[in-house]
Amino acid sequence: MERKEFLRRGFLSALGTSFVLPIVGACSSDTVDPVSITGNTTGSTTGSCTTTATETAGPFPTKTPSSLVLTDITSDRSGTKLTVKITIQNKNNSCAALANAIVDIWHCDAGGSYSEYGGTGMQSTNYTSVHFLRGRQTTDANGLVTFTSIYPGWYSGRAPHIHAHIYSSSGTSLLVTQIAFDQTINNTVYAQGVYKSHGLQDTTNSNDNVFSDGVGTELASFTGSVSDGYVLTHTIVVNG
Amino acid sequence: MAKGLIQLCYRKIIDVSSEKAWDKYVFEDTWMEFFMQAQTYTQDGKYHTFQEISDNVPAANGMTYMVSTAAINYIRQLKDIVPDIANVYGKLCLPFKRFKFEIIYSDVRDKTSHKVAIYFYSEPITWIDTMDGKLLLAFGDQREALKCGQEVETELISLQPYLNISSVILGSQSVEPKEDYLIATSENSRL
Repeated sequence: MERKEFLRRGFLSALGTSFVLPIVGACSSDTVDPVSITGNTTGSTTGSCTTTATETAGPFPTKTPSSLVLTDITSDRSGTKLTVKITIQNKNNSCAALANAIVDIWHCDAGGSYSEYGGTGMQSTNYTSVHFLRGRQTTDANGLVTFTSIYPGWYSGRAPHIHAHIYSSSGTSLLVTQIAFDQTINNTVYAQGVYKSHGLQDTTNSNDNVFSDGVGTELASFTGSVSDGYVLTHTIVVNG
Repeated sequence: MAKGLIQLCYRKIIDVSSEKAWDKYVFEDTWMEFFMQAQTYTQDGKYHTFQEISDNVPAANGMTYMVSTAAINYIRQLKDIVPDIANVYGKLCLPFKRFKFEIIYSDVRDKTSHKVAIYFYSEPITWIDTMDGKLLLAFGDQREALKCGQEVETELISLQPYLNISSVILGSQSVEPKEDYLIATSENSRL
């Protein structure tokens, strides 16, 4: 908390004057879109109430995306770099690329933890790392979204995975799915770096209760290495 | 001498009748985010409202936070000054860093029913006196300065609907605070 900011505010005695100076500048002149009313700048009094003073209308608020809209979702997490390239195709349109689809992804960190997003408590305007490894992109004309992240870790009872939720451009849910990982690459990544202390995953795709019915449409393709990072490429087909 | 150190909390309600541009953006975008997030829990057609989902789907306990992600960048546009609450000059002046987002009501079938609130918690304020329904305030902890007879810059802010004194440390004696901010009371509990 920047309490100094407030302590910096004027001690009038520092001016060395015994009379009280007008404190017109004491408050921020930044009003955000005040209600349009009639009145003058000093307000007018009729009866027992006083018209609120007129103020400048700026700065105007601007349309701004959700804080989930991120290309790099790494935040403060460390791990082997992973580029996630997901292409969305529409089965209802001859499997053509689906542009303007909204793609949410989220996954756990190297230690197997998801970002804390529960609860209804207070938040701070300057705290940005609260939804690490979680992001949203909109597909381009080729149906592609690209995220920069880290290779997910694992947690007990589940094979490594990335969650994905695909929406139409108007926000209608099209598909909730998960992306499965290559066992050989898992074994390589989890033997090094920040993953090493957690060891190898305890669940493979074949004995995972989500993927055990087959990962034919859910297993991603991978290129790269531990030193260069990996690129995950995956196509998700929806009924758009 | 100061009456104590207080935290003001303003509960700003936003719904379909909100007219300001900022409020409309928050209404539109939090509605869209609620609609998107809720579909995870409404696809069997059993539940439609935020209340129904909250009461019946334990996994949906993160939904308020998820919907708040649509509002946070608008809240940042306020540049840490509480909206609507003006001093007697008609200027916004109340600093905040903390806020809480609340979904009052929402129904995936009816956008016009969407209603949210944002609680803006002020930074610590020295409460000097109350005069004619207005609080005489100084920002920060100025109790020591007042005690020493120093001149302190002040503001007059009217008591008004939805503006609450959400916590207080009575007395003019400065004590070393455990936290750098006051902890709100009732608003901080799960609603």
